[in-house]
Amino acid sequence: MPIIVLIALVVFFTSLNPNFMSLRNFARIAIAASPFLMVAIGVTFIIIMGSIDLSMEGGVALSAVIFCFAFLFFGGTLASGGWVAIIAALGFGAAYGALNGFIHAKLLIPSFMSSLAMGFVGIGATVLLTGGGIVRIDDDVFRMLLTYRFQGFPLMVYVAVFFLIVGILIQKKTILGRNLYAIGGAEDLARASGVPVLKTRILAFSLAGFYYALAGVLQVAKLGQAESVTGANLMFLSITAAVVGGVALWGAIGGVVNALIGVLIVTVINNGMVVIGLPDYIQDGVLGLLVIAAVILSTNRSAVKFVK
Amino acid sequence: MRDILKSNYHWVTLFTLVILVGLVDMNFWNIESLLILMGDIVPLFIMALGLTFAIYIGGIDLSAQSMANMITVIASLYLATLGLWIVPVCFLVGVILGGISGLITTRFLVPSFISTLAIGGVCYSLAQWLSGNRALYMNSESRDALFGWMLSSTGIVPNTIFVGAFVFVIALLIERRSSLGRQLKAVGSAELAASASGLLVPRVKVLAFALSGGLAALAGVIFSIKLSGGAPSIANGFLLPAIVAVLVGGTPLTGGVGGVVNTLVGTMIVAVIRSSMLYLEVAATHQQMVFGIVLIIAIVFTIDRSKLSIVK
Repeated sequence: MPIIVLIALVVFFTSLNPNFMSLRNFARIAIAASPFLMVAIGVTFIIIMGSIDLSMEGGVALSAVIFCFAFLFFGGTLASGGWVAIIAALGFGAAYGALNGFIHAKLLIPSFMSSLAMGFVGIGATVLLTGGGIVRIDDDVFRMLLTYRFQGFPLMVYVAVFFLIVGILIQKKTILGRNLYAIGGAEDLARASGVPVLKTRILAFSLAGFYYALAGVLQVAKLGQAESVTGANLMFLSITAAVVGGVALWGAIGGVVNALIGVLIVTVINNGMVVIGLPDYIQDGVLGLLVIAAVILSTNRSAVKFVK
Repeated sequence: MRDILKSNYHWVTLFTLVILVGLVDMNFWNIESLLILMGDIVPLFIMALGLTFAIYIGGIDLSAQSMANMITVIASLYLATLGLWIVPVCFLVGVILGGISGLITTRFLVPSFISTLAIGGVCYSLAQWLSGNRALYMNSESRDALFGWMLSSTGIVPNTIFVGAFVFVIALLIERRSSLGRQLKAVGSAELAASASGLLVPRVKVLAFALSGGLAALAGVIFSIKLSGGAPSIANGFLLPAIVAVLVGGTPLTGGVGGVVNTLVGTMIVAVIRSSMLYLEVAATHQQMVFGIVLIIAIVFTIDRSKLSIVK
């Protein structure tokens, strides 16, 4: 169902302004969606477990800033060793996520609270590192992620697609992926059948952190800079996107592909409102109403007994 | 003894914090400044009270901040024409919009996370439209005549504390002494069981979200009176502390446990952590990180996890 909503939206916006359906505009949508998709995929792994992760704004900002500092440390160009910074940022993201998962699963704090607090810590650490300022990167080779286009789409879009496929494979083809669904479906049953719940939870949060770091690196590629607000708004938007795409907040329903469709729906709405020239001040309200409509249309209501 | 301690972890956390901060800087124990601190957090407290009802039934209300934002605009615009009626009118606006969130959640099975977030977007748009996207100032004559008392003190007690106490008592009566309170607890503890025993679960849930919206609106009214104005994003930064206050107080997101007294303590814990940074001279750039770390520690000590077999 969500895919039909997406198609309907595309048709709707195209009918109001034919320019919507152009390669140039699709590239614009893809650029906006790329970092956003990484965050949504990350949080989807957590939502499948029936938990929630609210640390993404901190994770994205902190990884982005660490990436920038490391990049500058290694000479400020990709050729001089800046590629090490990418590995450092992604490794850091995974560690940040693992700590987040450890605090939640080992100390038995509900993920909503532990991840919210870890988000504060992440943003706080970013402010601390940057002193509230902005870190800039202007290496032409690294910025090719945005500037070099292949078939009309910048390289960063292909990077996002690659990690989308990785995400799908992790979800479908790995033990971790199966265990996420087992825990989300019925944790006590999963535990009784020998699923290592603690290990899986920490791994899942670590994986989510890895994807937030990817989003951080892509944000830097897109904007050429990092600061404490690099991840702003991603928290509510990414969870909204996952739900709109058909990932259920109570766990075990939906997956990475749903996150993709949800991200596209939200990005298309945001882009479409600009393309058809809707005034700024009503865009938040319209987005809200359309999101509700999208969720209503995509929910299989006969399968849901109650909703929180 | 252990059981008594267990059900009062939030009090223990609060007093430990107050004692610790006071040990580092004795000035913190000054009753007068503590009262001023409490007076300052009344809007946040009232918003958190509303959120308590939404969280108590296992939902969440993410529209509270945008609601308060919009109400500061409405209150600033219409105080002169409506006079004292501004309070019930704003409350009613909040109740209606909160009720709509509840209806969307119960009728169309949209998770409250999404429905309230979306209604929050609508509030934000309305606020921008009504205000022309700029800061507004209240008619100062009407404000001083009608609400001037709220900004002064009785003895050393700021009058906003009485307002907070009044709302708190009403919320407590709803929770402890009304059938709605019992129904909220039933829905929060076991929704399917409540439904099977004949409770009109959707009605109870809509009422919980309506209360949450109404109280968020009330928080907005008080906030705009304090600032003598309003703007579409003036209350930004309220939502997460309000949620944290509810959670730290010991009302978990799973519902059915905790309540408004917990939120009172939770709000004070948040206020103490925040203001203690001034006393402990934590640099501005460190504050948010310290807040997060202290928060994790506070949560570890506050929540009674002995009964939880599964932590989501």
